[in-house]
Amino acid sequence: MARFLFVVPPFTGHINPTVAVAAELAQRGHDVAWTGLPGTVEPLLPAGSTFLPATSDDVAAYVAEASERPQDLRGAAAFKFLQEEVLLPLAGAMVDGVDAAVDTYGADVLVVDQQALGGAVVARRRSMPWATSATTSAELVDPLAALPLVAAAMHEARVALQVAHGIRAEVAAAGDLRLSPHLVLAYTSDLLTGPLPDVPQARFVGPSTLGRPEHDDFPWDDLDPDPDRPKVLVSLGTLNAEAGERFWSVAADACLGARWQAVFVAPTDLVPDPPENVIARTRVPQLALLQRMDAVVSHGGHNTVCETLAAGLPLVLAPIRDDQPVVADQVVRAGAGVRVKFARVKPESLSAAIDQALTDGSLRTAAERVRSSFAAAGGAPAAATHLEALARPHPAR
Amino acid sequence: MPETVTDQAVLAELDRILAEVIGDDLLLDGPLTMTTSFDADLQLESIEFVALAEKLLETYGQQVDFVAWMAGMELDQIIALTVGDVVSFVVGSLAHA
Repeated sequence: MARFLFVVPPFTGHINPTVAVAAELAQRGHDVAWTGLPGTVEPLLPAGSTFLPATSDDVAAYVAEASERPQDLRGAAAFKFLQEEVLLPLAGAMVDGVDAAVDTYGADVLVVDQQALGGAVVARRRSMPWATSATTSAELVDPLAALPLVAAAMHEARVALQVAHGIRAEVAAAGDLRLSPHLVLAYTSDLLTGPLPDVPQARFVGPSTLGRPEHDDFPWDDLDPDPDRPKVLVSLGTLNAEAGERFWSVAADACLGARWQAVFVAPTDLVPDPPENVIARTRVPQLALLQRMDAVVSHGGHNTVCETLAAGLPLVLAPIRDDQPVVADQVVRAGAGVRVKFARVKPESLSAAIDQALTDGSLRTAAERVRSSFAAAGGAPAAATHLEALARPHPAR
Repeated sequence: MPETVTDQAVLAELDRILAEVIGDDLLLDGPLTMTTSFDADLQLESIEFVALAEKLLETYGQQVDFVAWMAGMELDQIIALTVGDVVSFVVGSLAHA
């Protein structure tokens, strides 16, 4: 039996996918624990889970503040901010704590999120087996291929991080903190991402969040029981809801008088006077709700997108920033969604896109194809099997 | 394609191309100017940069290789990129053709 330590960033969408994988490992008799920023991880873990703080509370406060600040940043400026002000400092701040957690816990294998690179530094420095947990697929498809100087600068920053923590420069330069050479768990399917020839160690396991427990206070009686009246979920995810002031107003106008009923996952003050066919809630039991929906409008967050496709539903995608444009492109290329422009979409074009998602049978067929590919990928049990293989004694890791 | 290409002619052409690329959803207070920025003002998305590159190629021909030009940029240059930068790039590319 082995001890697996999950190294996670303070982001819900990156922690949720690990929970089911860890549960599967535990069920098979292994020990599992998490390390990350205190206060950000424990609330998302099942009761009785083992959590080892990787930093002081100050770091958690800094990242929370940094994640708040760039609400209006998009595009290249948002990318720069995320890399330079959030992810790299976060990685550096976590190294010592993760290293101590490995000793305290006696970890055999690290499972490192692509946005918790401190864990990869520790694994590489200790030459221990580690897997990458790619909770979004955007970093697997080389989104910076057209911008080689930007890609090189990012690579150099990650090399410098390793060197600063005692890894020899030539060793540091030869590896990639984002991609374990041993195993990369991708919670998607290659039907959705397209082939990844440069990441042969990637294993596509499909979404692992489909069984997660949900808090359900949804007013189910407010949903129109008429199955012929289409239902549309509109969500900007857990991090971006506040950034959507303009979008929510456009979305409300797009739904005004429409034949469908919509559920908005939005801060209620941003939908002050919803049309009669809109239910606005700050939180919803998303998995349960998807079973009643016919289409989803999403910012292109990886988990929402994959949960939607796992329900066989087409998407309207309004990517805001970061990995979302890449994920949105994948869905469009797979034929399972249409894209609108988050910052500039007008009510008429959003309404037309929703209408297309509800009526264009080819979108639904493509979404169902992706659903089948997810089902075949094996989910958390498949991920656990790959991780177990990594834990077996192996020379020259 | 005109024989001699002025900054103003390229700006007008860029105005037309961006209207095509962005469509009806262009949100800009006032006209496109040399100081309009792609990241902050136009919020041009990555797939729209691809479309812009294709339209420039269609309009001006092979010598205006926008993709290769962007490939030579650092992140800060991309963030700061203005309409005027693209106009100078097009005019310069055609002058060297």
